[in-house]
Amino acid sequence: MAGSNHNDGAATDGAAIDGGTQRGQKIIVAGQSSQRTREVLYTLRVFTNVVWPASLEATLEQTGSKDVACLVIADDLREEPIDEFLQEARELQRNLPIFVITDPDDVAEAVSAMRNGATAVIEIPPSYAALREEVARAIL
Amino acid sequence: MKDLPQTVYVVDDDDAVRDSLRLLLKSAGVACEAFSAAQDFLAVYDPVQPGCLVLDVRMPGMSGLEMQQELNLRGATLPVIFITGHGDIPMAVEAMQHGAFDFLQKPFRDQELLDRVQRALTRDTENRARLRHTDRIRERLATLSPREREVLDLVTQGKANKMVAGDLGVSQRTVEIHRAHVMQKMEAGSLAELVRMMMAVSPHT
Repeated sequence: MAGSNHNDGAATDGAAIDGGTQRGQKIIVAGQSSQRTREVLYTLRVFTNVVWPASLEATLEQTGSKDVACLVIADDLREEPIDEFLQEARELQRNLPIFVITDPDDVAEAVSAMRNGATAVIEIPPSYAALREEVARAIL
Repeated sequence: MKDLPQTVYVVDDDDAVRDSLRLLLKSAGVACEAFSAAQDFLAVYDPVQPGCLVLDVRMPGMSGLEMQQELNLRGATLPVIFITGHGDIPMAVEAMQHGAFDFLQKPFRDQELLDRVQRALTRDTENRARLRHTDRIRERLATLSPREREVLDLVTQGKANKMVAGDLGVSQRTVEIHRAHVMQKMEAGSLAELVRMMMAVSPHT
């Protein structure tokens, strides 16, 4: 798990991607470097303070901080199964909105994510707007 | 107190599904009652009866999701396993957000359903044990005098007797006496146990 890059350096750890987030709260994106993770980051470009930490450890560390608005699990993680990661994140922040992105129609994965602590599961494609709405609600 | 026997309630408008589930559950030694409509189940639903619910999402009249919401309004704790032939992610998410225990898409393997039913029955047993525990704590809390309740609240916030005495404007000796009564009435062996009891009845504080 240690040292395994999550984002292949394409986004700087802790760097703002774009946009206008309220109260300076962070939106954390987790997910291996993939087309879907990039689509999620692109979808969230309207918000400032979107971070894509470089490792799972860094993601969990940031998830435990006070200035986090929500966590978006964009894609599979290299280091561990999403359900285990969800439980760890939920342990750190009981009330944090956590959104999981799944493939369309993967009902079993959606149910599993909900059972392990996701606030909502969003299928991408096609629900880019739904993701923005959920994140906007979490920030406000 | 001995638990009542558990029953699996099946609510599905499809006769064939109801019959096959009844047979499957019976073959696994699980008591089962089947209903063809949500209203029929709600008319006889008894919250005291332990078990779980296997519920079809789409039914004429009241849907499975509507029935789940009605049960939530009634404060039901019965674990609900949804079954559906036309499930999609928004539907599954809605069901889980409203507290569904599981969501299963047809067709499913018999063993898959039996495993989930078993887990749901275990969850129901745990829920009922937890509720009985919190009911007992609430009963003990009701025996405290108003002053004892104040002392309880302050000591479980971590305040020492001297600070409690200062907050309440009484002597430390008086606080010690109230505290001893609280421990006795609450049947607590230690302050840590008392704190755990208070967390059990108000877990978000």
